[in-house]
Amino acid sequence: MPERRPFDPSRIRRPAPEPGAPPAGPNILSVRQVNELIRGALARYVPATLHVLGEIGDLSRPASGHLYFSLKDPDSELRCVMWRSSAARLKFEPEVGLEVIASGGIELYTPRGTVQLIVRRLEPRGVGALEIAFRQLKERLEREGLFAASRKRPLPRIPERIAVVTSPSGAAIRDILQTVRRRYPALEILLFPVRVQGEGAAEEIAAAVGALNKHAEALGGIDVAIVGRGGGSLEDLWPFNEEVVARAIAASRIPIVSAVGHEVDVTISDLVADLRAPTPTAAAELVSPSLADLLDWLGTQTTRAARSVTHAVQLARAELEATLAAAALARPLARINERRQLVDELQQRLHDSLTAAFRRGSERLAAAGLTLLRFRTGARFSEARRVVEQRLHRFLQALNAMALSGEHRLATSLAGLERAQPAGQLKRYDEYLRHTPERLAAAVRLAVVPRRRLLDARLQALSACDPRRVLQRGYSITRDARSRQVIRSVQQIRDKLRIITELADGEFHATADDPKQPGLFD
Amino acid sequence: MSKSAKQLKFEEAMERLDAIVEAMESGEIGIEESIAKYEEAMNLAAHCRRILDQAEQRIQKIQLDAAGKPRATPFEPPASEDAGDR
Repeated sequence: MPERRPFDPSRIRRPAPEPGAPPAGPNILSVRQVNELIRGALARYVPATLHVLGEIGDLSRPASGHLYFSLKDPDSELRCVMWRSSAARLKFEPEVGLEVIASGGIELYTPRGTVQLIVRRLEPRGVGALEIAFRQLKERLEREGLFAASRKRPLPRIPERIAVVTSPSGAAIRDILQTVRRRYPALEILLFPVRVQGEGAAEEIAAAVGALNKHAEALGGIDVAIVGRGGGSLEDLWPFNEEVVARAIAASRIPIVSAVGHEVDVTISDLVADLRAPTPTAAAELVSPSLADLLDWLGTQTTRAARSVTHAVQLARAELEATLAAAALARPLARINERRQLVDELQQRLHDSLTAAFRRGSERLAAAGLTLLRFRTGARFSEARRVVEQRLHRFLQALNAMALSGEHRLATSLAGLERAQPAGQLKRYDEYLRHTPERLAAAVRLAVVPRRRLLDARLQALSACDPRRVLQRGYSITRDARSRQVIRSVQQIRDKLRIITELADGEFHATADDPKQPGLFD
Repeated sequence: MSKSAKQLKFEEAMERLDAIVEAMESGEIGIEESIAKYEEAMNLAAHCRRILDQAEQRIQKIQLDAAGKPRATPFEPPASEDAGDR
């Protein structure tokens, strides 16, 4: 505050002589003298404190922090200065056009010779300063996007540990603790004690929000924080409208629930916070789950899990039974049995055809042998018989080998079939076996037919030598009726020998007499 | 189980349990898995119940010391309705 001196006309009458001063003469003053004159007059005649109503104009606030503006009437203007120390205490931001009441003293600014009001207090007219301040901060933060819905983070469903920033002796903490104890006693509460009203409260609250973020880790993790206080006057709630608190809440990594005053009170904190609770009790309800609900939920989940697993077991059992009963599983066994039957049939057929072939061979051989036995006519015939027997033996060996290999293949197929689990393999066996009977039958045909033909040819050749054919040409064979020896020489004939003579169409018995020595063709 | 049930926070356990029950009820898992999941579900439920049973309220007052380190002390809540500094 510049020094005020009482008005002293004698000083003006006797100005100090100065080098280069204007020539002394009546009523001629220097600029400084005039200003001094005015300053004296102001000090003497103008009250030290004036309250001036006017509209703010020509507003400027340089880096120095001083506030320069003018107060205007429709036809009048007054320069005003608000020094930084006073301006810093302003709750609102002065704006051009705002009607205010400025309180302070009039002074002369000698470098410019202007009279100005040194404003010590500035109040918006009509609304209170706090309302103006609230409106202004709200608008500014809103422009910055601090209230945007997209900034709001969801609260954890089931927090483990919460922080509460409030007064340790207020109603808020008591309400919060009561509510949490009732709803979810497992919730751990960390109280960050702060003053919630008066000078410096805003800074404490902001610092606590910063501290709980900074030390969350060391404190075991903080899931959510409640910042607030109980009800009070607008002035009481004011710290929660301070920018420093708003900034701290906006910067918090941990979700913040703001709970200030009563339902009707909306603060800047409420707007910046992730969630606004109308009261501290409501905030506690919002952050703490209901134990009863959780136990209900737990019971439900347990029951559902038990029901599900029981159902799954029943389902699996039913499925297993269905599967066992189903053709899908039954069919492989049925197929194997079918194939077994088929193999049996096949073996039977093989056996039958071999037996038949054998019988036919044997019959022919027997017939041939019988004839041979009956006639025994020479080495040629016994040679033929040996050949026939040899052929037949080989034929039978071949048939036997063929039958063995067929059976072996069948047995292999059957074993494979029984081992076969994969459907594809089973199908291949099935396919193979389906065609096996035809293949075996064909093989048997192929083996039997040429051999039969061979046998027929041999038998035919044999029959060419058949002694009966000789008999048809008129020869006969005579045997001793008793010994059945063929009579080859008359030497063998005794008188009255009973003989049998074989002709082509039969035989007759006779008695030999008078055997003659000379030959038949003598 | 990727993480032991005992290490889970309540909310994590809760989400896991919800997911398991949902999976079980979908009927898209086999019997063996279903039984394994049932076991896991029961472990989770027991874990959740244990947390809920820790019913003793824990309240601590946190103040920063001269070095700026947080210091926790037990806190006794105010009893009276009318506390001077609301």
